[in-house]
Amino acid sequence: MLQSSPMAWRRRAVVSETRHLLFSVAPGAVWIFIFLVLPSAYLMGVAFMTNGPYGLPQMPLSLASFERLAGFGFLGWSPGNLYTLLRSLWQTLVSTALVVIIAYPVAYYITTCREKWRPILLLLVVVPSWTNQVIRAFGWMNLLAPGTPLSDLADALGLIGPHMGLYPSNFAVTLGLVYNFLPFMVLPLYAAFEKLDTAQVEAAQDLYANPIRAFWHAVFPQTLPGLLAGTVLVAIPAFGMYVIPELLGGGKGMMLGNLVANQFAESSNWPLGAAGAILMLIATFIGLFAMRRIGKRLGGGEEVVI
Amino acid sequence: MRKRTLTRGLAGIWWVTLFFLYVPLFVIVLFSFNSANSTAIFERFSLAWYRRLFDNEQIINAFGNSLVLAVSSSIVALVIGCLIGYGMYRHRHRKLGWLIVLIYLPIVLPDIVFGISEMAFFVQIHAWTGLLQPGLGTMIIAHVTFQIPFVALIVYSRFVGLDPTLFEAAKDLYASPLKRVVHFMVPTIKPALISAFFLSFTLSIDDFVISFFTAGPESATLPIYIWSAIKKGVTPEINAIATLMIGAVALAAVLSMLFNRQGRR
Repeated sequence: MLQSSPMAWRRRAVVSETRHLLFSVAPGAVWIFIFLVLPSAYLMGVAFMTNGPYGLPQMPLSLASFERLAGFGFLGWSPGNLYTLLRSLWQTLVSTALVVIIAYPVAYYITTCREKWRPILLLLVVVPSWTNQVIRAFGWMNLLAPGTPLSDLADALGLIGPHMGLYPSNFAVTLGLVYNFLPFMVLPLYAAFEKLDTAQVEAAQDLYANPIRAFWHAVFPQTLPGLLAGTVLVAIPAFGMYVIPELLGGGKGMMLGNLVANQFAESSNWPLGAAGAILMLIATFIGLFAMRRIGKRLGGGEEVVI
Repeated sequence: MRKRTLTRGLAGIWWVTLFFLYVPLFVIVLFSFNSANSTAIFERFSLAWYRRLFDNEQIINAFGNSLVLAVSSSIVALVIGCLIGYGMYRHRHRKLGWLIVLIYLPIVLPDIVFGISEMAFFVQIHAWTGLLQPGLGTMIIAHVTFQIPFVALIVYSRFVGLDPTLFEAAKDLYASPLKRVVHFMVPTIKPALISAFFLSFTLSIDDFVISFFTAGPESATLPIYIWSAIKKGVTPEINAIATLMIGAVALAAVLSMLFNRQGRR
């Protein structure tokens, strides 16, 4: 056998490593490029095109769909689309806040239980979210429909008009969102509570005695990384939610996800739908970026993986 | 004294939350056994809706589609994702940041955005070339795309957890790369492969939005069938079919609990 020089040997090693990289990573990278990057790029391009006669995008390029998203149409300005946008923001805000309020005591309660029970309690919280979200929304439709005990109660209390039912309504959408996303907040908060340094809490109790101040100064800062992770997991998908407002909201409960989806179904205005999708993407990235910045500043750079 | 009221209050909140989480599911199960076609009044216990379920050809077809979609997409995603996971591990010292971003993208993207971008893309490609007609094929492609990152991350983290000297030992033991794969790689990451497969399978079965937008007229899955039945207002059998799906989830929960117990022993 010929003795090869160290240089040639090294070159051959580099070549084989590169070939290895090609065989292992390339198929997946190509797949993701073709079926994820290209479609996303195409969708973004569509947003800047004009709506054709059959709802399919056409040249020339324009900003018309963004103007329509802001309410400017053929018939002058109308607030419909803007209302949908604001409603999406509002629903996201309210449901995230409610989820936080419920998840804090629940996550804390689980940590106060005996250690062998904790995984089971966590599983009990998570299991409902394993059911398909269409089925879960359908369960709430059954509960809130006109003529059900809950609707009759709301009727008797004068909260809703007679024979109206609690669904479809914005209230039903909020309820559905809270129901859907509660586990995503409980899990990271539980992880934060489990690592809680109780000495700090005891010190705070000795010093302040007031439970609210003890919570605010000793507990809250320690659970902040969990809270941030939970907020990302709840708020971002809630903003883009499609199924729940479609089933529980009716026409007046529409959110951005429904506006976007409708443009690809009944209304057939792909550019407008694509513009809405871009808005959703921007919101997603702003949310992720903001959380990361806040998380870094607080030094709690832990990532919670579900 | 104060501590006790706090604990009691917490327990109260816990039980109310649990009630809130299970009531919608309980109502579905209860009314699936209702003899009357009503979700407000329970008449008599009956299995009539279940009997109708098994005569409904559309539901049987939808169930078959769900299974075919979940199994085939999971297998493809397992192969591709596994290769990426290994590549990411083997070349972790290189600058692969772009790859990580690419891989995380389907996880971060809101599923409605993912669904419609796939749909718009498939429709446009179909208009140009006649390929990629909406149906099971396009659904499998879309599912594989969102399953790949999960498989890759699971496999990658399994490799990271291994002792690096193991790879050297395997190199000494087995001369050919193929033998190394068969006798060393696959057996060592088998748990990761199994859990990645099951995760992909569950993600696929559970998905509605992405399937909905990439489906063709003949390829409705169970969630799509349920969705359109709800939308049309034809719901009597929905409670029964939903109950079966809830039952499957409950079974999975119990199994995972048992597995966890065994794993810890």
